[in-house]
Amino acid sequence: MKKIEAIIKPFKLDEVKNALTKIGVQGMTVTEVKGFGRQKGHTEVYRGAEYKIDFLPKVKIELITSEEMVTQVIETIERAAKTGKIGDGKIFIFPVEEVIRIRTGERGRDAI
Amino acid sequence: MQFELGVTKNGLIHTKHRMAQTISTHSSPRDFLRQHSDMVDSLVRKAFQNAQSQVSSPSVCLMAVGGYGKAELAPYSDIDLLLLYSASKKEDLPPLVEKILYPLWDLGLDVSCSSRSINECLKMAQSDLHIKTGLIDGRYLDGEYEFFRNLYGLFTRKILHRKVRDFAGALTKDLHLRHQKYEDPNYALEPNIKEGEGGLRDFQMGRWIIRAKYKTDRWDSILFPDHSQSLEKSLQFLWAVRNQLHLLSGRRQDDLTFELQEKIAPTIGFAHGTEGIEEMMRQYHLATQRISNFVHDILERALYEPSLFKKALSFLQRKKIDENFGMAYGELYLLDPVTFKRDPPRLMTLFHHCQTYQIKMDFRTEEAVMESLPFIDDRFRTSGEVNETFFSILKKGERAAGLLRKMHELGFLSRYIPEFSEVEGKVHYDLYHVHPVDSHSILAVEELEKLRRGLYEKEYPLLTSLIRELENPGILFLTALLHDIGKGREGNHSLIGAEWVERIGTRMGLASEYKDPMVFLVSHHLSMIETAFRRNLQDEQVILHFAQKVKNLNQLKMLYLLTFADIKAVGPEAWTAWKNTLLMELFLKTAHFFERGAVAEPFLTGDEILQKLRESLSPEIISEYADRLPDRYLSCYSSAEIARHIDMARSIEKELLLVEWEIEKEIQAKVTVCTKDRYGLFSKMTGSMFLNRLNILQAQIHTWEDGTALDTFWVEDGTKDIERRLQQFKKDLKKIVSGEVPLRDLLFERIESNGIKQKIIPRVSGEVKINNQDSDFYTIVEIAGEDRLGILYEITQALTDHGCDIHFARISTLGNRIVDVFYVQDEWGEKIEEKQKTDRLKQILLNRLPPREGITLKDHS
Repeated sequence: MKKIEAIIKPFKLDEVKNALTKIGVQGMTVTEVKGFGRQKGHTEVYRGAEYKIDFLPKVKIELITSEEMVTQVIETIERAAKTGKIGDGKIFIFPVEEVIRIRTGERGRDAI
Repeated sequence: MQFELGVTKNGLIHTKHRMAQTISTHSSPRDFLRQHSDMVDSLVRKAFQNAQSQVSSPSVCLMAVGGYGKAELAPYSDIDLLLLYSASKKEDLPPLVEKILYPLWDLGLDVSCSSRSINECLKMAQSDLHIKTGLIDGRYLDGEYEFFRNLYGLFTRKILHRKVRDFAGALTKDLHLRHQKYEDPNYALEPNIKEGEGGLRDFQMGRWIIRAKYKTDRWDSILFPDHSQSLEKSLQFLWAVRNQLHLLSGRRQDDLTFELQEKIAPTIGFAHGTEGIEEMMRQYHLATQRISNFVHDILERALYEPSLFKKALSFLQRKKIDENFGMAYGELYLLDPVTFKRDPPRLMTLFHHCQTYQIKMDFRTEEAVMESLPFIDDRFRTSGEVNETFFSILKKGERAAGLLRKMHELGFLSRYIPEFSEVEGKVHYDLYHVHPVDSHSILAVEELEKLRRGLYEKEYPLLTSLIRELENPGILFLTALLHDIGKGREGNHSLIGAEWVERIGTRMGLASEYKDPMVFLVSHHLSMIETAFRRNLQDEQVILHFAQKVKNLNQLKMLYLLTFADIKAVGPEAWTAWKNTLLMELFLKTAHFFERGAVAEPFLTGDEILQKLRESLSPEIISEYADRLPDRYLSCYSSAEIARHIDMARSIEKELLLVEWEIEKEIQAKVTVCTKDRYGLFSKMTGSMFLNRLNILQAQIHTWEDGTALDTFWVEDGTKDIERRLQQFKKDLKKIVSGEVPLRDLLFERIESNGIKQKIIPRVSGEVKINNQDSDFYTIVEIAGEDRLGILYEITQALTDHGCDIHFARISTLGNRIVDVFYVQDEWGEKIEEKQKTDRLKQILLNRLPPREGITLKDHS
């Protein structure tokens, strides 16, 4: 099992979610996050006053998937989240030791 | 043991359910409470009598206290007993209590019993608020009646009817503490029917005060009949819900959770599904709102109603404000109780005074307001004086939200703006919308007020300065109050709301300069949210369309402020720094568009574009392509040209590129090139033209959203050989674009073989400007300089070499001078802003402007 974490542009969320649902991903956690990488923040000027946008708004998607699905999930996110411009985001993959569904106590794949 | 009281645990549960069914709890839930209480009475008495026969005990009296004392017992409520004994023999009590309690516990009843002497009771009631309030509803059950009479007489005389103001003070404190626990927004969605705001406990408190102050148990006797009837209805409703809550969960469950809301709604006469739940919760909010108003009203009377002595004294301190109103003790009061009936517009004057003098009205004046609601008719609603006073309250913007809330509480607002009654208590069955629509709307006004007063100045300086710039904040406040008014009806609530606001505005006699923005704001109140959170704000097109929708800077400001208030009023967690950043970015970019005047001038609006496209394109094609065509492009070409371009775009799916031309006056031609955009394309085209000695007079290059490049050149060739040269240009361009031959090789080859030499012309000094202010999306490079064959190629090649992607260009030639404008981004799609980079770019371009020796072309003529 792997945990996949993707940081994407906010307006790409619907596309990525729909693409993932299509390939059979059942659930995911979505968080509003802020940060910066190569795409730095910027300062906007309005009527002479400066308004700093130093952390850029992004969306973080987290999901757990079986080993066989990993490649497909990653490719799907990559394709759906891409604009080709700076700030498209990153995908991280982590190994997962165990998953437990609290309600039933199911473990491993059954609990995903 | 189980049959000791002649019934089993399961038997008892069964009886409860049967009773609930036969009484049909929703029609008369109070009857159920009474019957249930009677049934428990007989069990408790039986247990008491059994116990007394089994153990020797002193003479005692058994009392029911608390809610059970009131003989209003919900299916799984606590059963509180009090065992009164005269004085001594305390040690004999525990065995008796055990004997009473055990069989009742075995039946699954939640019974607790305290045993006290009369003196202990009185003493404790003085110091402990809960013991005191428990005794108010105390009821004799069994045993020595004399004890009960004794205690009760002393309690009411010495405790209950004394220091009523202190009692009210203690209850107020208790109420606030209790509500604090339930302040969490989750409780607004899943309220606690007993302890929550406006819940059954609040009602009890009001009743206790009435018992203490007016010495009556008929709480309705001190209210207006209308008022007490609606209160009674609210109570019956809450009881009905609570009975079902208990019966369905099989325990004392007072949290009205989502799961239970869904189960209960159909059992008390609401439709199955979301609609029924929302309607039930609407009733719930209306009921708790009424109870909340009731308890606050009663507490206020007990706390602030002056004593007879003070009343006499206050006569001297009274101050008249005008012929109808006076002030005393920091409260506004009505001089003549029939004023409102005689002259209804004084109602609005009253609220205006409250704002002007920053005081509240006394409760009698509030009652007079409620009593005169029937006099608010269409004449009132269209009265110029009334409406002007209302606007001036809003315009002033101080305590306006508080006054609106008061107007709503008294039922005044829904009479004055009848459309508002449609959203009273209206809830959404979801996790996001914490408040019902009416409170949400008033909260939105409050948020704007806070913003204007500078409470958010540190966190949101931009929003704060924007609301202070507004000439008439009253219009924005009114819009915030009415923005969700369409939610009472089926369909798109923004559009319905806009229609209603139009109607309301007309009725109020608003000038169209105020009404029109209100209608716009209500119909578009979700537009900014949709654009900021779901669209690419790096895309100029997105901002442009948004700007066209919003129409002007003033409406943009108001929409941004309304959006802030709307989200903030949803619940404390709805407004996040994340949302703030995206909304601010959208606002600033759109504002820049308006400030540069770039919205209306060069581009057509969405409607104009559609109209233009319809001239020569079929609806199918329009719907297929409309989104791909940038406004900048659409504004440059006629519909016939666009139709032709779409045809070309369809063929390049098979072919690499298409070149078409029309020759004019033998020496000039308009050349159209269509291909898929790629890096450096423009310089490849200008290079190929240079190869063929085509002098570029003008050019327009555009890239569609789907990556189709459509470029038009106006070229000149003095030799009248233009057709052949264009043919050759097409061949060369194909070779270069396909990668068959690099442009560099072709250039080198031809220059060698032709040995071209440059004609001498007067020098024009070159100038390069790099502008990052005029667009949020592109760096604009403006180049002016001496014209010569191939100059455009050199410039565009330099731009490409320097990592600039050309998105749009306008090339023009004035005599021997060129004026070229390029809209460029770097390879990441960002503007080129670092000074180091722009300086270098400028230098490189300047270097290209004077004629160079490397590539010299001989003029053939």
